[in-house]
Amino acid sequence: MRDRQLPVRLRALLPKGYLFTVLGIAVGVAGLVTLGAMAERIGRFIEGGDRFVLGQISVAGEGMGMGAGFTAGGLLRAAKIAEISRVPGVAAVQPQVMLPLRTSTSQFLTLTQELVMGADMNVPMPNRNYQVLPVRTGRFLQPGDRGVAVAGNDFAASRGLRVGGTLTVDGATFKVVGILDKTLTAPDRFAFVSIDDARDLWLRRDPLLVQVFGAGNLSRADLNSGAAVGWRPGEDPDALARRIQSTIGGLNVTIPGELSRLLRESTAFFSALLFGVGVLGLVIGGLSLSNTVTAAVFERIRDFGIKRALGATDLQLLREVLGEALGVSLSGGAVGVALALAIGFLVDARSNGQQIFLFSWRLLIFTLVFALILGALAACYATLRIVRLSPAEAIRRGT
Amino acid sequence: MLVRAVGLQKSYRDAEGPIPVLTGVDLETKPGEFVAIVGSSGSGKSTLLNVLGLLEHADAGDLWFDDVRVSHLSRRAQARVRGSRIGYVFQAFLLISTMTALDNVLMAARYLGRDRRVALDEANRLMTRLGVAHRTGHYPAQLSGGEQQRVAYCRAVLNQPPLVLADEPTGSVDDEHARVILEELHALARQRKTSVILVTHRPEPAAEADRVLRLRDGKLVRA
Repeated sequence: MRDRQLPVRLRALLPKGYLFTVLGIAVGVAGLVTLGAMAERIGRFIEGGDRFVLGQISVAGEGMGMGAGFTAGGLLRAAKIAEISRVPGVAAVQPQVMLPLRTSTSQFLTLTQELVMGADMNVPMPNRNYQVLPVRTGRFLQPGDRGVAVAGNDFAASRGLRVGGTLTVDGATFKVVGILDKTLTAPDRFAFVSIDDARDLWLRRDPLLVQVFGAGNLSRADLNSGAAVGWRPGEDPDALARRIQSTIGGLNVTIPGELSRLLRESTAFFSALLFGVGVLGLVIGGLSLSNTVTAAVFERIRDFGIKRALGATDLQLLREVLGEALGVSLSGGAVGVALALAIGFLVDARSNGQQIFLFSWRLLIFTLVFALILGALAACYATLRIVRLSPAEAIRRGT
Repeated sequence: MLVRAVGLQKSYRDAEGPIPVLTGVDLETKPGEFVAIVGSSGSGKSTLLNVLGLLEHADAGDLWFDDVRVSHLSRRAQARVRGSRIGYVFQAFLLISTMTALDNVLMAARYLGRDRRVALDEANRLMTRLGVAHRTGHYPAQLSGGEQQRVAYCRAVLNQPPLVLADEPTGSVDDEHARVILEELHALARQRKTSVILVTHRPEPAAEADRVLRLRDGKLVRA
């Protein structure tokens, strides 16, 4: 008896004739998951940028700007950095050189541009939200390093870089000593080098700077595109940023709170896109799923007529249909998630190191729960429509 | 009386208005009585059987089972009456294609909440007697018409209902299988005192009935 029942129970979970229903649901769910994963990816990027700007005060010299990245402005000389470090409330100032990897494309797609970042490792990373960048293999930069680089995850993936390999930038060769883990935000596309190496690169690619430097007006320590400023515990970063600006002249100081607001404003388009993609995913996936489940129930209208003729009550039928709908929705959801994961990994693998999809646990769990709830609602709706018919009418319509 | 129908009326609607099918059917059956209802195709025999079996509502009239007025019960209560008091044998068998023959038979017991082990024993005995025990694990599409009808018959009588309604039960099977089904129905009436109401447009199945009625102009008359 038990042996006989097992296959029957398994079939009840995925009854004969439900293959196309499962596939139909899977397509809808796959659409929902892939669109959702794109939205998650964009969201994580924006969120990461926001965390970064809120974690430090970025300072550059006065002027139009010579570097790139977060510290827009002119050259920040060593004397200014020393002055900043004396402002009450400042915990640390880390001189930095940020350079676009490719000067010709540096102004395009700034959200995803590749940067060479030189940081003075004698000063601990002052950014409160990124004090340590996660290293996947190898190690991060150390004080005294020269001729070595640590590559962000996407940066390394797009070039096939490994620890022990080499990276050539503007004719200079660096030994790769570390690859970062994914942060899903800007550092994924960075190559970190020592600040002295970054200064050399800067001099190598900027003739004007060479002339100024050669005239003896600048020392190497003056070649900074900006600095990251950390604050002491209990200090209000916005107030400190304003204090630095008012105390020391000739600086471009970003106010973290304002920059965060500006970042959010400038990424409002992406946020709207993200919301739209999410809604679109829900609508497409939801309609597909509910339509498929409803159609599958209506297809079996004759069976429901027969069951009611045999004494099935509305509640018994509802319970039965719900069980099947949940089984089918879960199966379709699981297949859809697998399909979306396969699509995502395939596309990402061909995207030159860029990660386009982020399949977070919350997205996958939400999708499966969403599929179950919608499947159950669709099944309830269809069942309630059917039980309003007489058994004879249900049998007639299904025959 | 087991079944008492009084003034049953039923009409269908089409674009041109209502089409009367039953215009005042009165019927009484006793336990163990075999009643045959004959009539030409389209005369409303199946509709009458559906109304008697609570498979569709009459527009007017009353239906009693054992002096209980069942025509006005709630949907849930009517479902209980269908499951416990009535067995159906349809011309088109109406087996569920995604279930095995055994599960089709057991379905009748399931909705009634009967003990599965007891029902399984009875189903196996019934299927053995009807010669389809070797087909328990097969799906309807794997069975011949005669086998499907025998499985459908097992399903109809598994709960030992006091009333069996048979709608052209021999219409889709060969003579040999038709004979088996008819013998079973007669034995049911004789031995278990089950009331059997059989509708047919052919004279042979009605030949051995206790009573033969004809549905003419929406009313039952003695044939």
